[in-house]
Amino acid sequence: MQSVVATREMQPYNHPTRAMYIGAPGKVGYLRLGFELDKSGKSIMRDHERMAPLIVQQELYCDEGMPAMPVVYILSSGGPNVDGDRYEQDIEMRPGSFAHVTTGAATKIAEMNDNFSALYQTITLDENSYLEFLPEPTIPCRTARFVTRTDISCHPTASLVYGEIFSCGRKHRDEPEIFDYDILSVTCDARRPDGRRLFREKFVIEPKVQTPSLLGIMGKYHIFANVIVLTPADKAEEIYNATEVGFKNGGELAIGITRLPNNAGLLFKVMGMETEPVKKTVREFASTVRMVKGCPLLPDFPWR
Amino acid sequence: MRLLEMSDSQFPVGNFSFSNGLETASYEHIVHDAPTLAAYVRSATLQSIYSDGIASLHAFRAADRGDYDDILRADTEVILCKMNDEARQMVLRMGKKLAELAIHIAPSEIVKRLLDDINSGTTPGTYPIVQAVVMHAAGISESDMFTSQAFGVANMILGAALRCVRVSHYETQKILYDLAPILESDYEAIRHLDYDDMRAFVPGIDIMASMHEKGQMRMFMN
Repeated sequence: MQSVVATREMQPYNHPTRAMYIGAPGKVGYLRLGFELDKSGKSIMRDHERMAPLIVQQELYCDEGMPAMPVVYILSSGGPNVDGDRYEQDIEMRPGSFAHVTTGAATKIAEMNDNFSALYQTITLDENSYLEFLPEPTIPCRTARFVTRTDISCHPTASLVYGEIFSCGRKHRDEPEIFDYDILSVTCDARRPDGRRLFREKFVIEPKVQTPSLLGIMGKYHIFANVIVLTPADKAEEIYNATEVGFKNGGELAIGITRLPNNAGLLFKVMGMETEPVKKTVREFASTVRMVKGCPLLPDFPWR
Repeated sequence: MRLLEMSDSQFPVGNFSFSNGLETASYEHIVHDAPTLAAYVRSATLQSIYSDGIASLHAFRAADRGDYDDILRADTEVILCKMNDEARQMVLRMGKKLAELAIHIAPSEIVKRLLDDINSGTTPGTYPIVQAVVMHAAGISESDMFTSQAFGVANMILGAALRCVRVSHYETQKILYDLAPILESDYEAIRHLDYDDMRAFVPGIDIMASMHEKGQMRMFMN
């Protein structure tokens, strides 16, 4: 977490908070989820640790496309991320296990005056494991500052689909917030278990320094989805070939896919005007990825 | 003179063969005139400056102090951060081409060693890093190298634009001219940054490149 907090671009915002101090109970969330196969071969959440405001409940087997898959909803009991929040999440997929992890609702990054909110995640995938980590969208409100870093360790036989959706803010308020936040810094670093580096993706959006609405960046679009797929090269090629790119819905959606460095997998990007079509496109893509398990990912529950 | 030679679009490293996704952006009518082209060029230079630019400044300084290991580190960082496959192929092809060319026009121990390592697969041999080594050997300054690289990206797209966008030479030259003071402040913004600061956020260009990669248009390479 210290290296995340020390990120250079966050230092202009690294001041003591005037409200609850950084590190106060309720401002430091921790979550560890460990999945493995039980003796009967069922994939279960074997162990977990949780420190409020990050909480999870028992895993559910509610995915009709893959009923044997445990589904875990991460909840934040504290509501939106606020000034000085520090969250950490570790997900461990032991050999052969499979799981779907998501959040119960969108992650709102609240308005901030003094400091920033930080999230550090590690995702470890052992041999032949499979994880779908598809949280609900992140909504950075006016003057929000949010830094995340995700360290992934992925065995060459394992598969991961990790999708994040970032909105421009609360665009449907009476006073719309469209790229009104201060900074969003997102880093993902992936390696093999032996430490061999695969790729490092980092993007920093500072709308008040450089508008994301520049053509070539996001242009007219307001919602951005970034989906990382780590999977063996032969499966990656199948997914790549099965994925359509281009403009959809009369230009309301722009979709692209590319191959990651070092044959690590794929990177799928979507830009759209509204969250719902982007979420739907990401889920359809995740369904294509899930074919590596031989099952589709069905449309989400209508209330989600 | 050497700076001009190595910055020239005729310098045979193949940059005229690529369009950075512009071919698709033009076909889709996203880039269709001088203002949209100028915005696209600015996005592409930003991407290049904050990723390749930072790594190549480190490689240049490493060459200056004879730290070959850090040159290789910079080369690796470029590839690890180059998420777009088409752009990755471009920097690899141009990097190798430049190393081969440099052996002929200005042979030096360090360039020979770098080319040997590229050929043996020890290092990827990306264009911005080979450029840093070759330009350092040619006596070009760090800031001039930075400008040459950013100019190269802009000029590549503008050269391609003359073939696939309805713009005139007057307009493309005006875009380049207006970019000059912006690049000066860009250099000041990145000269102290480190490998951890390397980043890129141009999903629009990435999606264009992806459509080009999967599409049938082939005026420019992928």
